[in-house]
Amino acid sequence: MTTTTTDQPAAPAPAPGPAARAVDLVKTYGRGDATVRALDGVSVEFGRGRFTAVMGPSGSGKSTLMHCMAGLDTPTAGRTFVGDLEIGLLDDTGLTQMRRDRIGFVFQSFNLVPTLTAGENITLPADLAGTKVDRAWFDLLVGQLGIGDRLGHRPNEMSGGQQQRVACARALIGRPDLVFADEPTGNLDSNASGEMLAFLRRSVTEFGQSIVMVTHDARGAAYADRVVFLADGKVVGELAEPTADTILEQMKRLGS
Amino acid sequence: MWKVTVKGLLAHKLRLALTALAIVLGVTFVTGTLVLTDTLHNTFTTLFGHIYQNVDFEVRGKAAFSSDTGAAVRKPIPESVLASVRSVPGVAYAQGTVSGYAQFVAPDGKAVSTGGAPTLGFSYDPNPQLSVLRIVSGTGPTRPDQVAMDQGTAQKYHFAVGDHVRVLLAGPPQTFTVSGIVRFGTADNLAGATLAAFDLPTAQVLFGKVGQFDAVDVLTAPGADKATVQHSIAAVLPPGVEVVTGQTVADEATSSINNALSFFSTALLVFAFIALFVGAFTIFNTFSIIVGQRTRELALLRIVGASRRQIFRSVLLEAAILGLVASVVGLALGVLTAVGLEALLKGFGITLPSGSLVFEGRTVVAGIVVGLGVTVVSAISPARRAVRIPPVAALADYQATEVESSRRRLLIGTLVLAVGVVALAVGLGGGTIQLVGVGAAAAFIGIGMLAPVVARPMSSVIGRPLAALFGMSGKLGRENSMRSPRRTAQTSAALLIGLALVSTIAVFGASLSKSATSSVDEAVSADYIVTASGTGVGGFSNSVAGAAAAVPGVAAVSTVYGGQFEVQHSLSTLTAVSPQHLSATVILRMDTGLGAPALAAGQLLIDSTTADAKHLAVGDTVPVTFAQTGSSTMRIGGVFKPNALLGSYVVGDGFFLSHFDDPLPVAVLVRATDGATPATTRALEHGLAAYPNLQVQTRAAFEKSQQAQVNQLLGLVYALLGLAVLIAMIGIVNTLMLSVFERTHEIGLLRAVGMRRRQVRAMIRAEAVILSLFGAVIGVVVGTALGVAFAASLSKQGITDIVVPYGSLVVFLVLAGLLGLVAASWPARRAARMDVLSAIAAE
Repeated sequence: MTTTTTDQPAAPAPAPGPAARAVDLVKTYGRGDATVRALDGVSVEFGRGRFTAVMGPSGSGKSTLMHCMAGLDTPTAGRTFVGDLEIGLLDDTGLTQMRRDRIGFVFQSFNLVPTLTAGENITLPADLAGTKVDRAWFDLLVGQLGIGDRLGHRPNEMSGGQQQRVACARALIGRPDLVFADEPTGNLDSNASGEMLAFLRRSVTEFGQSIVMVTHDARGAAYADRVVFLADGKVVGELAEPTADTILEQMKRLGS
Repeated sequence: MWKVTVKGLLAHKLRLALTALAIVLGVTFVTGTLVLTDTLHNTFTTLFGHIYQNVDFEVRGKAAFSSDTGAAVRKPIPESVLASVRSVPGVAYAQGTVSGYAQFVAPDGKAVSTGGAPTLGFSYDPNPQLSVLRIVSGTGPTRPDQVAMDQGTAQKYHFAVGDHVRVLLAGPPQTFTVSGIVRFGTADNLAGATLAAFDLPTAQVLFGKVGQFDAVDVLTAPGADKATVQHSIAAVLPPGVEVVTGQTVADEATSSINNALSFFSTALLVFAFIALFVGAFTIFNTFSIIVGQRTRELALLRIVGASRRQIFRSVLLEAAILGLVASVVGLALGVLTAVGLEALLKGFGITLPSGSLVFEGRTVVAGIVVGLGVTVVSAISPARRAVRIPPVAALADYQATEVESSRRRLLIGTLVLAVGVVALAVGLGGGTIQLVGVGAAAAFIGIGMLAPVVARPMSSVIGRPLAALFGMSGKLGRENSMRSPRRTAQTSAALLIGLALVSTIAVFGASLSKSATSSVDEAVSADYIVTASGTGVGGFSNSVAGAAAAVPGVAAVSTVYGGQFEVQHSLSTLTAVSPQHLSATVILRMDTGLGAPALAAGQLLIDSTTADAKHLAVGDTVPVTFAQTGSSTMRIGGVFKPNALLGSYVVGDGFFLSHFDDPLPVAVLVRATDGATPATTRALEHGLAAYPNLQVQTRAAFEKSQQAQVNQLLGLVYALLGLAVLIAMIGIVNTLMLSVFERTHEIGLLRAVGMRRRQVRAMIRAEAVILSLFGAVIGVVVGTALGVAFAASLSKQGITDIVVPYGSLVVFLVLAGLLGLVAASWPARRAARMDVLSAIAAE
């Protein structure tokens, strides 16, 4: 399933084992006749140091998959792992700690705490944990994202693209095992989208970050190393080294 | 629109229930007060009507003072009047009555205390038609050694017919045999007063009225024309004696009780309105927030065609329904509270007769009008804000902007505050108490309007230590409280008022307490002060001074008397001291004129405050009237510096005794040879053991008991203000709850990036503590200023020392912080329990 990244020599060698995986994941909502099987036996692995896109039409279960794997939602059946850690065994405190220390989030909207400045938002997970921020890493991220002059501003003083870049920095600051990005460019114009995706791509290539991105934009998914297609709660296909064309082609095939 | 309103109410059940609670409490208080006072009023009216229902006429001395209303001072009438009255055709029965001071001594040797009610002695009239007393068991007193006792005392101290009982009298105490147990009309006793009934000749001796009656009660013969009889009686009466109907006497008695009741009811209503005033801030705040949160929904209504007027009405209607429901609940609870209030007063030693609860239509109307009115008025401003929401606000990317400019707010707030301060200043500087109330209310509204201006910087300062202490949670709590200065200010406004009032009372109370102490030191040089124990108003025996003088180690004794007289045609209190031992017992600092010699010469001394106010000086002559001896004039012999013990007018005891029949001492001052020593104290207590109603206190102990009285009163006021603080706390809970709902998304995000539940709770708590402290700090500052102003305005009334009790104020601040923590507990739990995923998904 894994492909070696021979064309990206700058990336450090990935550690053995996937960054996260799901085994026979089932999630149902409602009961009786009204039961909806949002996930219907999904088994999937997300490679370490890889950029994986999860695609599928609305209601295919892609967001549910992400929520279950990030410990935000509890699956009805099946097991989920972040690294070697089985998150189904964790209580709320354990889940909170796992999210804080091992996972980064970028949401479609409302990514920042409005009362905190950009800089404070970025260091929020570390501040919550009471740990020190790696200053060099912080400066590097801020520089890469081009938000160095925005650190003292509050979210409502920034553009959507700037806010989303701050959210990216926050997701990456703790060098998490995995970053979940849920439609991160959904609210951005094409310019900001491009910058955003290029940065995500670079963080995988240059820093070896593992990223899972849920999207339904084929051009966005083309930045990934691999695309997993979901439909009706099942994995229905996947694509390595995708381009926008191959993705659209695959989607067309699955859609019919 | 109706449907939208109802749906709106149902959608916000919880937050509205909390808001309603503020109204419920206020209305409960109002209703409870009205029900209680109506009940008491009814009880007394029934009681007196019952007592006098058979008495056709009462012959009595005319009221001595024209200016006197309630309990008039009347001169006794000569015994010969009885014979004249009996000789009038149409009079079937007539009997004289006398009354005076008589206090039972309980089997344990302590005087039966009444908690402030009088201890009455009566002559017993054997005619059951006429007597106010009804025999329950035994017989009426017929011999000089017999006494009839009220059922209340008999039950409480287990007296039975045939028992011996000691009775304290104006003269030396005596022992009697209980001949019977009586009731006062239908009551076991009269509002907690104790009753001792003696046969007429004995009573005349005991009360110092040999050959005299206080009144003659008359029954007319069946069939006689009452108007004619009254006319005929009037014709035979000597000057200064009048005949009135039994109904008149009952009405007078009722109205004098009602005067006392209406003071009591007004005092309680003041606190009820304070509670409602605070509640109004809470409602205003809640509706403001709800309108803010429903911006999009209201805008959508505008888009689909709702007019501004409809939106306005919808919000007001919501308030009206809420107010109505809350008022009805408050009414019901108020009735229960009336029972509770009665118990509370009992706890403070004010015993009241029991009667069935009176629930008048007026109470229902008042409760609903007040509850509904306060709610609707408080919702007007938020409703106006709702009207200003443009339809475009329904669009997703609409950014709300502050509608009202802060400059306008600043201007209006300053104006309202200025009006309030001026009204307060005028009110305190000799105006009416109503003006003070209106001024205080205006000042608070003004401060409430200005508070948002300082909310941000103050929250920032208050929150800094919290942020340092609790890290990110504290910092976020601080940021949240700074986020919407207006909301922070509005939320804490209620607590601000509550604490301002509490602080005012604290400063005022501390000043009063200190003044009471220092005024005792400045008024009395005696080593011991002997007074009636408890809050006794009955005075004590004349023979105490003699008994005290006989105690070894006592150097000088002076009896202080008090009585009512008319000076320059206004009723005042006259105090009498002995000129002989003046300097040994009393500190009388003369401004002009002479002290002791003037007293010995039968001249009047007045204090400098009165002299200034009435433009009187030594050598002036003023008209005076005494109940017993009639009108004359007195020469002012001296002007002294205000003295807490003596009051405004002082005469010598010789002069006093010649103008008052049977006066009761209010205090006996004792100077010991060696000062106050434990040995002398014991000797004095031993020497006065025959008078168990007395308390012998050293000057220091007397000061302490004065302070204790002030503190007890303060305790009652604090308890009543506690309700306002409770409502303020509900307001904080409410706002935090609304904030938590509002920030669901944000809290979800924080949880997603790794905030622990504990940290969420800490964040909400930090915000609550900042909110509380913000209100508390301003409240304490405002209240202290108000208290100082209040105390200063009463400097001439004896508040000479102004004390700011810093310790208490700090305690208030700490308590306010703790209150914030308590208020935060529910919203904090709620926020922490929030499901992360649904919080993020929430829109």
